[in-house]
Amino acid sequence: MLRFTLERLVGMIVTMVLVSMMVFLIMEIPPGDYADRYAFRKYSGTGIAITEADIEAIRHDFGLDKPMVLRYVDWIGNIVLHGDFGQAFAFETDVIKVIGDKAWLTMAILFGTLLLTYLVSIPIGIYAAVRRASAADYGLTIFSYLGLALPNFLLALIMLYFANLRFGADIGGLFSAGMADASWSFAKVWDLIKHLWLPAFVLAWSAVAYQIQTIRATMSDELNKLSVTAARARGVPETRLLIKYPARLAINPVVSTIGFDVNRIFSELPIVAVVLGLTELGELLLNAYLDLDMYVAGAILLMLTFVIVVMNFISDILLAWLDPRIKLGNN
Amino acid sequence: MTDMIENRVLSGSSGKVRKESAKAHKKRLKYYSASQWTLIWWRFRRHRAAMVAATVLLLMALLGAFAEFVAPYGPTSRDTKYLDGAPQIPLFCDQNGCSWRPFVHGVTTKRDPVTLRAISVPDPDKRVYLTFLAEGEKTDLLGFIPTSTHLFLLDDKRAKLHLWGTDDLGRDVFSRTIYATRTSLSIGVIGVLISFVLALVIGGVAGYAGGWVDNVIQRVTEVIRVVPIIPLYMGLAAAMPKEWSTTEVYFAMTLILGLFGWPTLARRIRSQLLSIRSEDYVIAARLAGARPLRIISQHMLPSFTSFIIVDLVISFPYMILSETALSFVGLGLRPPTVSWGVLLQQAQSVRVIEQTPWLFIPAVFVVLAVLAFTVVGDGLRDAADPYSDVR
Amino acid sequence: MLKVENLSISFRTDEGLITPVEDISFEVRPGHTLGIVGESGSGKSISTKAVMQLLPGNGIISKEAKILYTDKSGKVMDINKLGKKGRAIRAIRGGEIGMIFQEPMASFSPVYTIGNQMVETIRLHRNVGRKDARRIAIGMLDKVGISNPEARIDQYPHEMSGGMRQRAMIALALSAGPALLIADEPTTALDVTIQAQVLDLMRNLQRDLSMGMIFITHDLGVISHIADDVAVMYLGTIVERGPTDKVIHEPAHPYTQGLIKALPSVDRLHDRLTPIPGDIPSPNERPTGCPFHTRCSKTIVGLCDRHQPQILQVGEDHTVRCFLHEKQGRATA
Ligand SMILES: Nc1ncnc2c1ncn2[C@@H]1O[C@H](COP(=O)(O)OP(=O)(O)O)[C@@H](O)[C@H]1O
Ligand code: SF4
Ligand SMILES: [Mg+2]
Repeated sequence: MLRFTLERLVGMIVTMVLVSMMVFLIMEIPPGDYADRYAFRKYSGTGIAITEADIEAIRHDFGLDKPMVLRYVDWIGNIVLHGDFGQAFAFETDVIKVIGDKAWLTMAILFGTLLLTYLVSIPIGIYAAVRRASAADYGLTIFSYLGLALPNFLLALIMLYFANLRFGADIGGLFSAGMADASWSFAKVWDLIKHLWLPAFVLAWSAVAYQIQTIRATMSDELNKLSVTAARARGVPETRLLIKYPARLAINPVVSTIGFDVNRIFSELPIVAVVLGLTELGELLLNAYLDLDMYVAGAILLMLTFVIVVMNFISDILLAWLDPRIKLGNN
Repeated sequence: MTDMIENRVLSGSSGKVRKESAKAHKKRLKYYSASQWTLIWWRFRRHRAAMVAATVLLLMALLGAFAEFVAPYGPTSRDTKYLDGAPQIPLFCDQNGCSWRPFVHGVTTKRDPVTLRAISVPDPDKRVYLTFLAEGEKTDLLGFIPTSTHLFLLDDKRAKLHLWGTDDLGRDVFSRTIYATRTSLSIGVIGVLISFVLALVIGGVAGYAGGWVDNVIQRVTEVIRVVPIIPLYMGLAAAMPKEWSTTEVYFAMTLILGLFGWPTLARRIRSQLLSIRSEDYVIAARLAGARPLRIISQHMLPSFTSFIIVDLVISFPYMILSETALSFVGLGLRPPTVSWGVLLQQAQSVRVIEQTPWLFIPAVFVVLAVLAFTVVGDGLRDAADPYSDVR
Repeated sequence: MLKVENLSISFRTDEGLITPVEDISFEVRPGHTLGIVGESGSGKSISTKAVMQLLPGNGIISKEAKILYTDKSGKVMDINKLGKKGRAIRAIRGGEIGMIFQEPMASFSPVYTIGNQMVETIRLHRNVGRKDARRIAIGMLDKVGISNPEARIDQYPHEMSGGMRQRAMIALALSAGPALLIADEPTTALDVTIQAQVLDLMRNLQRDLSMGMIFITHDLGVISHIADDVAVMYLGTIVERGPTDKVIHEPAHPYTQGLIKALPSVDRLHDRLTPIPGDIPSPNERPTGCPFHTRCSKTIVGLCDRHQPQILQVGEDHTVRCFLHEKQGRATA
């Protein structure tokens, strides 16, 4: 198990290094560089004409005249060694200050969504497999097709519409008016939870649809296994049998796709955030892209991917712990 | 002695069983002699939902291809007399009786008694009839055949028919949706093709070469798999220079979507290739001195083409949803290009649901297209599975 | 202890109702072994699954069938009336009748230890605590010849060899002390040397525990080693049934005779084996009349292909389903 964990850990680090390179490349693609944009921001509206020399000076100050490889090393070195993600020019402050609390809000949304996804999809998927070819099963199949086809922003709009009808205006966002800037307290956390269900519902929608299909398929396979008949032949009561034998194995694919679900949630986040008015990393990322504030964008992309990689790692370990065959196969 | 037994065995089988098996025999002969593709088609045809979905897709493709003919007006033509106008549904009957020709009610401009804004309201006493295959705006069919014939128009050339209403600038939602269908579907097709080629090359090299080449490629694939895809697309889309023309943006978008769509398919190709790499017929071809590309294309790929096609069909929804999402937040195609996502950009707020819900009609197309591709993909997968029987 | 009468089994399938087992009767005497032999697809497995009410959801047991079982306390019950669910049938499964399957690997759940699954079974049927159950399980593992059972009990199925796993499977089936053991081709998936060991083990266990046993196999050679009585199945019917000695030495049915001719034996070592010609027809295209007539070398044209032969007595407890003996009977009469 130790060796297995270490192997996965090394794999994770290699992946993160490659990811950081790719993110850095994406940060470099937009035409012009940080100095151009910085100069433009700083002097626009002031009436001062910007000269090429000014820009050159800024470029030198920020070390932008160095070769790309060195700049990459600087950038990633600062992140790893000092937790310094660079400057957010649109905010004229450190990237880390801009991101701040929003990272935690994003994690709250993520875990809220994951929790909702698994709480809903696991029992329903198992039920659909046990009641295969029943009306409920067909209904669920149609639902999951729809779940996969409905664009999330559309669902968000629909939900927002109904939520507004039902609960009045104050439903979008993550906090009630006035609560957003309050310091953290129990009341604020409760307020967050009250607002969290809507984005969690929207983001969980397609994940639920997908997982129901996966669980239904594996559960159906497991139900036909000889080990289930064998357990039944030993007199194990039906409900306990379903949970202990097939269901226990049917959640393996769920565990192995946790990283995939996180990926999907982060992928949809910026778009859902626009509609629901969420103030977290997704929204910040979108605005950073629109403003070409590439250090902010790069930092967020890196953070989101890091979370996905860590979740992949956790899912690998969890799977090895759940399924004793895996440890042996890998050692 | 053995002959006798066999004779008995034959003569002994009862008449009834024999007749049945003669019929079944014919069927079976047909079954065994059919080619792999015929078999897949037979199985697919039996999948009713998939056939319906395939028809829907075909219809959409035709609508998009002949947009200039189907749409009564251009995607940017404005009707300033009918802003934010509601859909006009052709009628055969109204309070003044019935007619054999469909008609709509004419529009008159009134002033809202409360806000004093000019609003367009239907006038129930004014009938405007529809004509079919009539002459209207000049366009180029398929982009190069000059034509001015449209599928349907209004009799009265001064009035315009807005089947699905208009937006705030008075542009016809029906026409725009039809044009958008062409854009969105074609982006999907090109995107899928690009990722297909990439998958073929990358997966092919990894699966054929194996060893360290495979290892490196696996690492890179892993990287693309872990980065959240829409934010990644967004980063690339954001980097498109603002001054690019709509055509340049269009092609850049297809490239971006295609650029990262390959990992799943590449993985499939790789693992299939790895598994048949050591099969006798591949080794024989290699020993006979065939070049790698020839071995891959002639000997290895045909054995799982059907799976590749299934994967391609299944990857369409991702392309379409990604394009829609990117355009929706303003990082994809830009007006005046129309795509489903660009059209839905106008429908970002709850107010739209309340006041001009017809602006959501393009979303119905998105859902239909994604649903249809998914169902067709599932149908194809079942049909391509050699273990699912015709019956 | 188990008496099955007029058992037919049907399945609802896409092509309609098929009936792969038709009107079979057999009996297991207390402390004796019944061997059921027949080619693959002849319906051996589903017949015994029916006894445990373990048929899949689309399987139907005929209403007029009687599955009479005398439990440990001497009470007689008809299992066919118990249904697939409920306390009564669960008490029989594992507690009264144990079952082992052809594939020992697939019969275990891969994610629990052998001990976990044994303790579960023991505690379901006996009123004992976890510790006692574990002691019983270790004792059982020891009895089936697994060395170092205290350590082995905490192993996962994939950590054992094939033969070991089948021993563990036997221990699992016997852990709750059933009075009848159904073994469905328990040695087919094993190496020849291990086959012999497991066979010996099962015979000894059956004697030591004085259990009743149903031993299913497609190999008539195995039967003579282990069974007291034998039932020969062909295409869903029992064509011959009787004491093993009699059936082996004086086979009455042409199918049994063919099976015995196909057996390799020491005194005919240099002879060519003579397998029965032709293939076994599919159960949903079962020939009319005698199901064996398409392959039988003694077919009486006009009779065997039209009419179903009746069960005839040819000796004490020895019955056969073949027109040849009806004629003989008539001729001698
Ligand atoms: N679930 C099922 N559905 C339909 N037919 C079945 C099913 N299970 C078994 N059968 C039919 O019953 C026949 C006998 O099966 P089985 O008892 O497994 O044979 P054996 O154990 O003698 O090899 C099979 O050939 C098959 O046609
Ligand atoms: S009844 Fe006829 S066909 Fe059947 S076994 Fe006897 S002789 Fe052969
Ligand atoms: Mg069997």
